[in-house]
Order: sequence, then structure tokens, then C-alpha cells
Amino acid sequence: MIQLYIARLKCLFRNKESLFWCYMFPILLATCFFFAFNNLWKVEDFTTIKIAYVNEGTQEDKLNQILTSQKMNNMNMFDVNQCDISKAKKLLEDGNIEAYVVGSEDPVLYIKENGLNQTIMKSFLDSYRQRADAIADIIKVNPNAIKEGLMNDSMQQNEFVKEASQGKKPQSLLTYFYALLAFTCIYAANWGLDEVINIQANLSNRGARVSVSPINKMKLFLCNLLAAFTAHLGSISLLFAYMYFAIKVDFGNNLLYLFMICLLGSLAGLALGGTVGVWVKKKVEVKEAILTIAVMGGGFLSGMMVPDIKYTIAEKFPLLAYINPVNLVADAMYSLYYYDTYDRFYLDAFVLGIITVVLGVASYIGIRRKNYASI
Amino acid sequence: MVVKVEALVKRYDKLVALDYLDLQVQEGEIFGLLGPNGSGKTTAINCILSLLKYDKGSIEIFDKPMGPDAYDIKKDIGIIMQNVAVFDELTVYENISYFCSLYVKDKKEIKRLTKEAIEFVSLEEFQKFYPKKLSGGLLRRLNIACGIVHKPKLIILDEPTVAVDPQSRNKILEGIKKLNEEGATIIYTSHYMEEVEQLCSNIAIIDKGRVIAKGTKEELKSMISIGEKVTVETYNMEEEQCKEIKNLPGIYSVDYHDNLLEIKSGKGKNNLVHILEYLGQKNIGFGRVTTEMPTLNDVFLEITGKELRDLVEGK
Repeated sequence: MIQLYIARLKCLFRNKESLFWCYMFPILLATCFFFAFNNLWKVEDFTTIKIAYVNEGTQEDKLNQILTSQKMNNMNMFDVNQCDISKAKKLLEDGNIEAYVVGSEDPVLYIKENGLNQTIMKSFLDSYRQRADAIADIIKVNPNAIKEGLMNDSMQQNEFVKEASQGKKPQSLLTYFYALLAFTCIYAANWGLDEVINIQANLSNRGARVSVSPINKMKLFLCNLLAAFTAHLGSISLLFAYMYFAIKVDFGNNLLYLFMICLLGSLAGLALGGTVGVWVKKKVEVKEAILTIAVMGGGFLSGMMVPDIKYTIAEKFPLLAYINPVNLVADAMYSLYYYDTYDRFYLDAFVLGIITVVLGVASYIGIRRKNYASI
Repeated sequence: MVVKVEALVKRYDKLVALDYLDLQVQEGEIFGLLGPNGSGKTTAINCILSLLKYDKGSIEIFDKPMGPDAYDIKKDIGIIMQNVAVFDELTVYENISYFCSLYVKDKKEIKRLTKEAIEFVSLEEFQKFYPKKLSGGLLRRLNIACGIVHKPKLIILDEPTVAVDPQSRNKILEGIKKLNEEGATIIYTSHYMEEVEQLCSNIAIIDKGRVIAKGTKEELKSMISIGEKVTVETYNMEEEQCKEIKNLPGIYSVDYHDNLLEIKSGKGKNNLVHILEYLGQKNIGFGRVTTEMPTLNDVFLEITGKELRDLVEGK
């Protein structure tokens, strides 16, 4: 088996066309993105976020004060318009503000669309709630705490806000890079298809020759798939290293998780290729075209060409976002970068895992067939 | 019995590809399966190899039922497909070694067998070549090496000489004889009757999925009424004269074209004498005279009313 594995690796690494699409093409695209959009980083520097504030609470309007007083690089962080709820809704609807907050004992944030500013707003409010709860607990134990300046210290949000935005590139640019990395992962589909073609007697002469040999077909398929996975891992690692070291894409601090989602994405790609190879009863060229459309289309819908598409799909066609493996990988990477918790990452990984298993089982059922009605 | 096929039926929807096909291949023989394109040769081979499902019948190889999981049978079979089945990304050596490792586990043994197979097909000089750099003939030889590298007891060759230059064709045919001499049983399918005549000890002629005749080439030729073919180089023959020749005793057919008079006659000793006497009497000058025994094409023609050669060429 080791010899067969090595032979398959040789085949994969000597196929110049596959090597170009898997190894060179993503690097070329990453380079293009870098030169085309690098200036966006400067353009998209932080600017004051326009929001509205509606006070429906009975207690002192502390939240409004905090919102108004937040500073970032000597700029007001929020431009707060205090108004009633109907005006706030109108302002949001017209796009004059990016969010509004209804202040009460449990303040609520309303947004129209997703984005960096909305993320900052949400994180700010989450942190506010946490600290408000902490203060209430402390006061129960030590009622003099307020007099001792607890309130002012605890509600100082500047540090948090700085952490939330410092060093993080604008989302649009990262969306390009994450979608590209995700696209590269799912591009393994082409190698999955190749492995099926090479083993199925009804798809290739090589498959016929393999099928009449005494080797267990499933063992050989797994061996070949492992070789394809190894070779594809090389392409992901190369692209990742290029992005990380050469063009300095910021992947945050969760590199291990990021690499794990890449591995899962690669497996999903192989399984997708296998399924199309086995179940689409058309010529090989048609199968290849279907995969190219699926992977390229997946990349497009996950924001590889136009970042806003990702948000539009997530908002208007959430199911499509959840069955698009490219989007799942990209979204998992994105969530690792932007969110403090892993909830969204785990959800993406879980759904991707299910897709991988379903496609893998479908491939298995098709491949285990041993003879055919026609060749 | 190495291969025993009984009442094999294979349908593609309404088309009957194999119509109660029966075949028996004895150990040590070169068995020829001769028939025009689309006659069912490759379908029969694919059914024998359990690549294709069939509707009825039974197949035994080495006296055991053949099936997709019959690994103990498969290890002793070598297959050389009609189309070349190798990896473009592997060199000649690596391709042969790869297909050997599907049968053999021991690394040293794979190396030894690969070397022997390369020598057998005379590809020593091309070991490091990639298939795309090989000519059609050399590629066919590589295809054969990949099929026989594990020293199978039964070798099935499905039209291995299609689109091959004469030199490589001779090498391939010599190789097949040698494999047979070394103990392998061969099944050879072809629509080239000369090859089958030259090579095979037993022949089945197949048409529309049925065996229409089988036996040794002598047995097959004795089944038909034509005894010999006489070709006379002559000039200015008239149609009336051709008709008169046809009326001579023992003559079945006369054809005159391009200054060649082709006469098919029945079995008998004096056919040529009668023809030459007639030409002398009529003062018809003639040049070269050749006679030949009937070919398998004649056998096919007499049984089916069609020329095998014409069917192959798609006329």
C-alpha cells in the first residue's frame, strides 16, 4: 500500500495542470488581491460610528453618558443621536445611522445589516451588560463601593473598545482572503474526482485495469484519497504560509483552529468531488465543469469576488450559506478572527462536518459497486 | 478448463449484445475470438472479467465461478485492454511497477518482475520515458507489460494491435507466442483475421453476440465449400468470358477488376488446370498466377453472407 500511495503522490505532483490550479492559482489570486485592495486598509481606518439612543428606562441614563463619552484616537467613538423609537427606526431605515440602542435595564441593540461597526457596537453592549451585572453583584456585598469610585472605573470602556478594533483589518479585505483560502480547500474536489475516475471501471481504462486486479477496491481508493489529501494539504499550507508571511494577512491568534477548519474543508472538497464523480452519469468533462461551477460559485457566494455577497446570502438565503462548503470554511475563519467565543466557529465546523460525512457516505455507496450495466 | 462460459446473455435495453454465448478455453492454448466491430467480443471479455453485469448464463475460470470478489482467481489473470491504460504522470518503469504492486506485495519481487517485463517487451531504453513521449507501438508494448508483469496464468488481450506499426505488431505477436510457450493460456480478440490465423490454436468466430463457428483454423476452413482461391493477372477480359469461366466445373465465383481475375473454386485437384486450359483456348494472355487457401474471411463470408473485412472497415 505504501508503494501505491507513493505512486499516487508522484502522479499528483507531476500533473502540471492540477498543480497550477491547486498551488499557483490561489497564490496568484492572493497576490492580485493584495495589490488591488491593499489601500483599502488605509481608507477603512476607524471613523466615528453614527448611532441613535432611545431611553425607555426609568433609572439614570448612564448608558447614554458612556456611549457619548467613549473616545478612540482622540475621536468620539459614537455620534449619538438621542431620540424616540420611531425616529430611531426611521434613521436606521434611511441609512443615516448604523444601529440604535434602546436603553433600559437590559439594553437592546437594533441593526439593519452586518458589518465591522455593528460588530463593535454589539461587543461594546455585551461588555456593558457584563460589567453592569458585576457592579450590581459588588454593590450587594459592598454598598459603599459606588462612593469609592467603582462606577467610574468599571464603566471605563476605552480599553475594551481599543482591543475590539486595534490591529484588525477591515472586514472586506479579510473576506477576500478568507474566501480564497476556503476556495482552495474546497478545490480538493477536483482531486476527489480524479481519484474516483482512476478507480471506476466505467470511467477509465485505468479503473478497469484496477478493477480486475485482486486488490480491494475500497482500500485502494482510501489509499489514493490519502495521497490526494496529502498533496492538497501542501497547497493549503503553501497558500497559508504565503498569506501569513509574505503578504501579512492577519489570521488572528487561533491558527490551530484555522488550520483544522482548512483540513475539514479539504476533506469536504474531496468528498464533494467523489460524489460528483460517482453519481453524475455524464462524461468526465461534464463532471469537471459541474465541480468548477460549484467551487467557483461557492467562492463567489462566500465573498471571494464581491464581499457584500456573503452578507446578502447570509441575510436573505441563510440555507444557501449553510450548504455552501466554501462559505462555511470562510465563515468559520472569519468568526475566529472577529468573535471572542467559538460558538459560530463550532456551528460552521459542525455543519461542514455533516456535509463531509453525507458526501463521503454517498461516494462510498457509489464506489463499492463492483460491476456495471455498461462500460 | 481455464475458461468456461455457458449460455451468456447480455442486453443493453433492447439490444442483445451477447446471445447465449458459449466458450471453452483449454489450458495452454491460444484462443482466438474473431469477429467484426460490435460483434460482442469486448462485451464478452468484460463479462468474463466481471466488469459487466450479465443477464443470464455462467462463467467459470480455473473451474471456479468468477465474480467481482473472486480475488484468488483475479490474481492469476492479466488483462491487456483495447485502449492503453497507463498513467501519463509515471514513467515506463513506474507504470509497470505500479500495476505489479496491485498483485505483489514484496518490494524486491516487484523490482524483479518489473525488470523482466521491461525486457520482455524490449523497452529497456525507454524505462525513464513518460508515456506521452512513446510512439503508438511502444505505448502498446508498455500496455502489454503492465498487463503481464505479475506472470498471470491466463492472459486476455483485447485487440492489442489496433493502430500499431508492422514492426511493433510483429513484436507483440512474437511476445504472445512466447508467453504461451512459457505456460500462459491466452485469449486473443481481434478483427484482424491474419493475426488470429497466425497465432491461435483454437478460434471462435463471433457475430451479433453468438458464436457462429469454432474450431482450429483447419477445421473452420474445412466447414466451407471453397477449396482455393486462384488469382490470374490478365488483360482485356470480357464479361462474357468471365461468365464462361464461372460455368467451368468446380468454380463458385469469378471477379475481374484491375486486370486481376479472382476465382473461387471448390475442393478438387483440377480447378487450376481447367482455368488455364480455358484461357489458352481463348487465346487470353496472362501473367502471374497465384493460388491460396481460403481465409477466415471466406469462412465468415460463407456463414454470414458478409465480408468480415468490409464490416471492420465500416463499409
